[in-house]
Amino acid sequence: MHHEEVFTDRNVNESSAYYYVDIENYPTTGWDKFKQVVKRTFSGELFVGLWVVMREMIKFDIHTVQYPMEKLPIGPRYRAVHKLLRLWESGYERCIGCGLCEKICISDCIRMDTRIDENSRKEVTEYSINLGRCIFCGYCAEVCPELAIVHGQRYENASEQRAHFVIKDDMLTPLDMLKAGQQAEYPGFGAIIPGSDESVKKTPLAY
Amino acid sequence: MINFTINGQNVTALKGETILQAARKAGFYIPTMCYLEKTTPCASCRLCVVETDKTDGLILSCQTPPTEGLAVTIESDRLKAERTNIMRLYDVNHPLECGVCDKSGACDLQNKTLEFGVSAQHFSAKDQHRKIEHWGLINYDPSLCILCEKCVHVCNEIIGDDAIELQFGGYKSSVIPKNSETLDCTFCGECIAVCPVGALVSSQFQYSANAWELTKIPATCAHCSAGCSLMYEVRHTSNSLGAKEKIYRVTNDFEHTTLCGAGRFGFDFAIEGSKDEAEFAKVLEAIKNADGLRFSSLITNEEAMILQLLKEKLGLKLYNEEARTYQNFMNAFSSISGKSGFGGSIDALRQSDGIIVIGGRVSSDNPVLRYAMTTAARHNGAKVVYMHPMEDDLLQNVVTQFVKYEVGTEEGVVAMLAKTLLSGSDLSDENQRYFDNLDEGYLCAESNVGDEELARIAKTFVRTKRKTLVIGSDVLTHKRAANIARLCAMIETYSEFSVVVVPTSINTVGVSLICDLDVDNGGGNVIGYNAAGDYTMGSLSDTMFKLPALNQQEGTFVSLNYQVLPTNVAVSFEGYTLNEIASSLGVVAENTIDYTAKLPKEKGFNGMEFDELGNFFSTLGEDNRGYLLENCDVEANGVLDEIDDLPEFNGTVVYRCNPINQFNSYTAQAQQLEKEAVLSGSAQFAAAAKISDGDKIRLEFPQSTQERIFKLDSTLKGTIALVPTYDVGFGGLNEQYRFEKVKIMRVGSES
Repeated sequence: MHHEEVFTDRNVNESSAYYYVDIENYPTTGWDKFKQVVKRTFSGELFVGLWVVMREMIKFDIHTVQYPMEKLPIGPRYRAVHKLLRLWESGYERCIGCGLCEKICISDCIRMDTRIDENSRKEVTEYSINLGRCIFCGYCAEVCPELAIVHGQRYENASEQRAHFVIKDDMLTPLDMLKAGQQAEYPGFGAIIPGSDESVKKTPLAY
Repeated sequence: MINFTINGQNVTALKGETILQAARKAGFYIPTMCYLEKTTPCASCRLCVVETDKTDGLILSCQTPPTEGLAVTIESDRLKAERTNIMRLYDVNHPLECGVCDKSGACDLQNKTLEFGVSAQHFSAKDQHRKIEHWGLINYDPSLCILCEKCVHVCNEIIGDDAIELQFGGYKSSVIPKNSETLDCTFCGECIAVCPVGALVSSQFQYSANAWELTKIPATCAHCSAGCSLMYEVRHTSNSLGAKEKIYRVTNDFEHTTLCGAGRFGFDFAIEGSKDEAEFAKVLEAIKNADGLRFSSLITNEEAMILQLLKEKLGLKLYNEEARTYQNFMNAFSSISGKSGFGGSIDALRQSDGIIVIGGRVSSDNPVLRYAMTTAARHNGAKVVYMHPMEDDLLQNVVTQFVKYEVGTEEGVVAMLAKTLLSGSDLSDENQRYFDNLDEGYLCAESNVGDEELARIAKTFVRTKRKTLVIGSDVLTHKRAANIARLCAMIETYSEFSVVVVPTSINTVGVSLICDLDVDNGGGNVIGYNAAGDYTMGSLSDTMFKLPALNQQEGTFVSLNYQVLPTNVAVSFEGYTLNEIASSLGVVAENTIDYTAKLPKEKGFNGMEFDELGNFFSTLGEDNRGYLLENCDVEANGVLDEIDDLPEFNGTVVYRCNPINQFNSYTAQAQQLEKEAVLSGSAQFAAAAKISDGDKIRLEFPQSTQERIFKLDSTLKGTIALVPTYDVGFGGLNEQYRFEKVKIMRVGSES
C-alpha cells in the first residue's frame, strides 16, 4: 500500500496546485440584493438540476450508496473503533501488556488486566475500551510500541446507552482471518513512518 | 564539624559524614545507582564520583568523608563524561523489555539512562543465556541485574539472613544464594524493595500491574508491635464495572525503613461486609445484654477509646489479658523508674554497641528488633548477649554470648543480671542490701546461669557506651512479672542501659494506656471483638458480625517505641464499624477518627487531630510519622520484692512461638505466607517425647488439647519444642506464660 501526497507544497501561490476561486462580491445595497434574488429565481438553474436527476433516472445510472449494505471506503488514517492485531508469522497477539495506552489515554477509557502466564511471559487477560468515553484521539495507537492497538474502519457507534464497551475478543483479529491474509495494517497515527528502516541504528556487536 | 565547599558554596559536615551525605543535606544532587542510606556504601556504581582540589583522580563521594577546607566539584564536563560512560556500560545488553518489566516507571536505570541521554548502545559484549531463577516468593532475572549489590548488603548488614552473595565472574557475575542451591532465607523481601531494576521481583506480583497504576496508601503494619511504616498499593481487581479495589503489593520506604516478610507479603486479610439491619440490631442487643467485652490488641487507639467509653456508659467489663499483663508490667516498671514508659527505642537499639536480650525469641516475635540488632552488630560491632532457654539459630551471626537459663527462672536471672550490671552504681542502701543479700548460689543452681557467664557480661559491658536491654514478652506473662519489671527498671534507672519492652501485638501499648482493663476469669456473658466470646464480632473469618480489618480502617496505633502512628484505609468496607455500633449505644461520634484528638492526655497523647498526623519519611530520613508519646513522670514508690522460689519445669515443655512471618490470625489468612503450623522440635526433643518426624501427635495443655504434626527441625537444640499459636482460635500469643508443660501422645498409638 503506497500513498503519495499530491499536495506536497501547501503554500498557496501560482506554482502550487491551489488556485483562487472566483467569487463575486456580495451585494450590499437593497436594490442589488433584490436584483440577485430576481436573477436567481428566474434563471432556470433549478431546472438544470432537475434535468440532471431526470436524465440519470432515465439512464438508470444510479450513484446512491446503499448504506448500510454498502459503505464508502474511508481514508486510511481515519480513526474509528480500535483493533488489536496479531503477528503475521506466529499468530501471537502483538500486545505485550505494557499499559502505555492505558496510561496515555486522556479520556481514561482503556483498562487492561495482565498476569504472568505459564511460559513466564506477560499475558493480557482482559482489555476493554469504553467507546462512550473514547474521543478517538489516536494516542493509544501512537504510543503503542508494538503496533498492536490500531484504529480500524468501523465507525458505527450507535448504542442504547452512553457507556458501551469493546473487549479484547471484539478487537483481536480472528486467527482464520489472519491466515486468510485479511488483517489490515494501519497506516495512521503510530504506524511506521515510510522510510524508517534507514533511520534504524545497528547495535555495535563485536561478534 | 567540618567546613568545606561544594561547587564553591560553603557546606558543613558532621564528623563521620561522607561528602555525599553532606551534599544531599545541603540540597546538592549527586547521582547514584548503588547508594543506600542504611547500609555501608556498596561503591559499585561509581556514579557518585566528584573532583576535589586535593586529589588528581576522581573520588567516590559515597565513602569519602570531607576534610577541612576541601573544595569539591560535583558538576563538570569531565564528571559528566565519566557518568555518561558508566550509564552506557550499564545499558550494554540490558534487555529492552521495559514494556513488560514490573519496574518500568519506577526504575533507577530508566531514569538515569534518560537523565544522561543514552539513546544507543556504544559498547558491545557477547550476550549470553541467563536463566531466570524462581526462589519461591522472589524471582531473579540475572539479565536485568546491574550488580549494584544493594540486595547483598541489605541481606547481610540489615536483615542478617546473609542468604545471597555475588558470584564474581566479570560479565558473567550474578547474585546467587549463599551456600545453598536455592534461596533459603526468612523471605523478608527487602532485596525486592531495594532492587533498582526489575531483577528481583515478587513472584506473586510479577506482571500483574504497572507501577504507575497503583495508588499508594501510607499505613502502618498491623502484625507485630514494631508498627513499621508501609505502603499498601491498591488497584482495581478487574475490568468489570464496579470491580473492587484490592491490595496488589506492599512496598516500603527502603532507604529509611526495613520491613519483614509478614508486612510485605501478608497483606490480604481484608474482609467483605454488608449493611444488614437485622444483624446490626442483634449486635446492639447482644452488647446491651453482655456483662463484658473481650478484645484483642489488633485494634486502633480510637476503637480502644470507644470500648473504654462503652465501658463507662454501659458498665461493661473489658477483658484483654495480653494488654493487661503489659499494663501491669509497665506499672511495676514505672514504680521504680518514675517514668510512665521505658527509655529505649528501636533506633536506640540500632545505634547501640552493647545489647542484652532476655526472655523472648525476638527473631520471630519482632523481626525489626532482630534487624536493628543485626545493624548494630555489623555497623557498630555491638556485643549482643542473648539470654533465653532456647538458642536461636537466626541470631547466631549476631549473638556474641548466649546465656541459657532454665525455663521459669527469669526472675532469678534478671535479679542476678541486675546485680551484675549495677555493681558500682550509686544505689540506695536499701537496694544495695537487697542485691547483697541475693542468694546467688541458689539462683545460679536453679537457673543454670554460671558465675563466669555473668562475669563475662560484666566485663563486656564495661567497654560499651550505648547499651540497650531488650525485655522479651516471656516475662510479661511470668507469674513474677511485677518484680521482674521492677528489677529491669532498676537497671534502666541506675545504669547506662536503656530498656525496650517487647509487647506482642500492634496496639498492646495503646490498649494498655487507653483502656481500664478487668481481670478475665472467663465467666459471664461476654462479647468477643476479634476474641473468643458468646457473641463475636470483628474481622476474623469465624466472627458472627463483621467489622473492618485493620487495613480497612483509619486510626492510630502506639508502637513499642511509644510512637503514635496513623494508618489508613487501603480496602473499602461496606459494612458497619464499631463507631456506628457505639453511636447507636449512646457513645456518639461522626467518624472513628474524631476520637484521635480525645485520646487521654494524661497518658502522654498530645491531642492532635488524625488529619494533622504525618505518615512519611523526609528525603533525608527524618521520621514524620505521627508523634511520640510524652514520657510522663509518675510516682516512684516501688519496692523490690524478695525473689520467690524459682519454679521448675520438668518433663515435656513446649514454647509458644510462631514461625517466622506468622503473628496472628491476619497473617494466618495471608495467601503468600507459609502456613506450616507444626510442632517443631529438635532430635533430642523427639527422642525424649518418643515421637519422630511427621508423626501426628496430640498435645495436652492444662486447659486444652491440640492435634498437630511433629516436625524435626535441625536448627533447634535442646529439649523444648516450638508450638505455634497464630492458627489457634484468635491467635493470641501472650495471654499466659509462653512455656508450658504438656503431655504429648502420638495419635492412634495410645491405648
